[in-house]
Amino acid sequence: MVVLKKYPSSIKGGEMEDDEEFDTVVSDSESDLESESDGEEKDEIKLTEPSKTAINNKEGLLEKLSEISWPKDADWIHSLSVVIDQDQEVDVNDDLAREAAFYTQALQGTREAFAKLESKGLPYLRPFDYYAEMVKTDAHMGKVKGKLLLEKKLREEQEERRKAREAKKFSKQVQAEKQKDRAKEKKESIESVKKWRKQREKSGYANDKDEMKLSFEEGGGGAKGKRKGPPGVSPGDRSGGKAGKFNKGGQKGMDKKRKSRDFKDSKFGFGGRKGGKKQNTAETTNDFKGFNKESRSGNKKRRQF
Amino acid sequence: MGWKTKPQEEDGEERENGDAVHVPVFRNKEKVLITCSRRINFRYRHLMLNVASLLPHSKRDSKVESKESKGATLNELVELKNCSSCMFFECRKHKDLYLWMAKSPDGPSVKFLVNAVHTMEELKLTGNHLKGSRPLLTFSANFDKEPHWMLLKELMLQIFQIPKDHRKSKPFHDHVFAFSIVDDHIWFRNYQITVPHNEPTKMDRGGLDKMTLTEVGPRFCLNPIKIFGGSFGGPTLYENPFYISPNQIRSLQKKKKAGKYVKKVKAKTRRKMHELSNPMERDELADMWKE
Repeated sequence: MVVLKKYPSSIKGGEMEDDEEFDTVVSDSESDLESESDGEEKDEIKLTEPSKTAINNKEGLLEKLSEISWPKDADWIHSLSVVIDQDQEVDVNDDLAREAAFYTQALQGTREAFAKLESKGLPYLRPFDYYAEMVKTDAHMGKVKGKLLLEKKLREEQEERRKAREAKKFSKQVQAEKQKDRAKEKKESIESVKKWRKQREKSGYANDKDEMKLSFEEGGGGAKGKRKGPPGVSPGDRSGGKAGKFNKGGQKGMDKKRKSRDFKDSKFGFGGRKGGKKQNTAETTNDFKGFNKESRSGNKKRRQF
Repeated sequence: MGWKTKPQEEDGEERENGDAVHVPVFRNKEKVLITCSRRINFRYRHLMLNVASLLPHSKRDSKVESKESKGATLNELVELKNCSSCMFFECRKHKDLYLWMAKSPDGPSVKFLVNAVHTMEELKLTGNHLKGSRPLLTFSANFDKEPHWMLLKELMLQIFQIPKDHRKSKPFHDHVFAFSIVDDHIWFRNYQITVPHNEPTKMDRGGLDKMTLTEVGPRFCLNPIKIFGGSFGGPTLYENPFYISPNQIRSLQKKKKAGKYVKKVKAKTRRKMHELSNPMERDELADMWKE
């Protein structure tokens, strides 16, 4: 059902999201086949009434048929033909229904034929190791595959864009909901604190000592937060944390810092003369190693806008 | 005289090895000549090539000058090529494709108008199958209702079925042709058969239900115009009573569009006459500001 599955999806894509540029491209290319055949079919006007002068020599036809037809006793293997009864009339102008009818006819026919071949014990399935020339070349099949992949990609992109659009639509609602939640949380926490205070009053500051300690500690914590200066430096250290580097070799962060400092020094210069280092020499004039690709592409973009 | 008896042997597709066994052994020795008229456009030429690639028992010949595409030359050509039937793609005005199918030399022959052509090159048709594997043919049941359809069915069967044990054919069946009559047209489809199977040549249990088809192409739709008794000629046996030639259709459409200018001029003069015959009343306030 590969082909059949593809048709509806393509048609759906064209109808539902025609506001996107990709979609129109896809639907255009996909409906090409259909519309073309449509055009040709619509061009063809049928006579509403059969012309009366038309010849239909039935005896002659049957005679010719008997003349040319294969003998009745010819084996079925020669013709491999199956007659399939179509149960209902097919609307010609409905492309999908028509193709589906042909598909089912072919499928039924194949089933019958395969059953017959099986009963006769004749080979009909191609073994895996049977390689031979195909009707379509590998190059062509590569193209087909490429097209299918591209279509898939486009469809996925479409889907993504649609999702993003929908998410955008709902984002306001989501934001409002979040704010409400936050307000509620805040209110609850305040409430709980109040409750706790009341409880404490009721119990008459029974374990006051602990509470005092706790509050003191909390206060201490607050002071910690306010303290300025480099992190990881003890309050009494006047060396700005540099003293620690030498006596506390175990600190990894410091090591890293040292390294990066060294690198920066080597790059930008620290100590020694700087004069000659920053000038071009004969070797460096034509050396474009430092100009990386990304920055160039960025420039291009800027030029475009 | 010589070519009357020879084709009888061949055309009968029935060679009796009767001397020894007394059992007539049926052998299909069909050969199809596929050719086209000059100035055929690329789309139809590709269709022809596609059909030729589906039929390994076909022979190709160079294009035939359209003036020469009278019966005699074509018949001669078919005979020269030792073929027993012929498909002739005739393109007119770079847009209308007619397809002749004929049994040679004694007929019958039929002329179709070809519509809704899709070639195998189109990327929408994703299937593929062995070149030269014998197709399964499926016909819709309404082929057996009228004598002319019955004749056409036999013709198609003989032309499109690859002879058994043909040297270019392959021993497996991996595609199926669907011939279907819808709306008094014969629709042709070619599908690849895909059956999932684990053993090399045997189908799994219930494999028939898992079978899927993928369209390979080409697609076309044949509108029968006439059936003749002979090969590329002879008495008319059948005429499609509903058929209008594409030329007539085009001229009808042109007629519908034509006369636009004439209509406009007519409308103008009519208006003028109307204005003359019913002059407007003089407005009593017209001179009010002129003193």
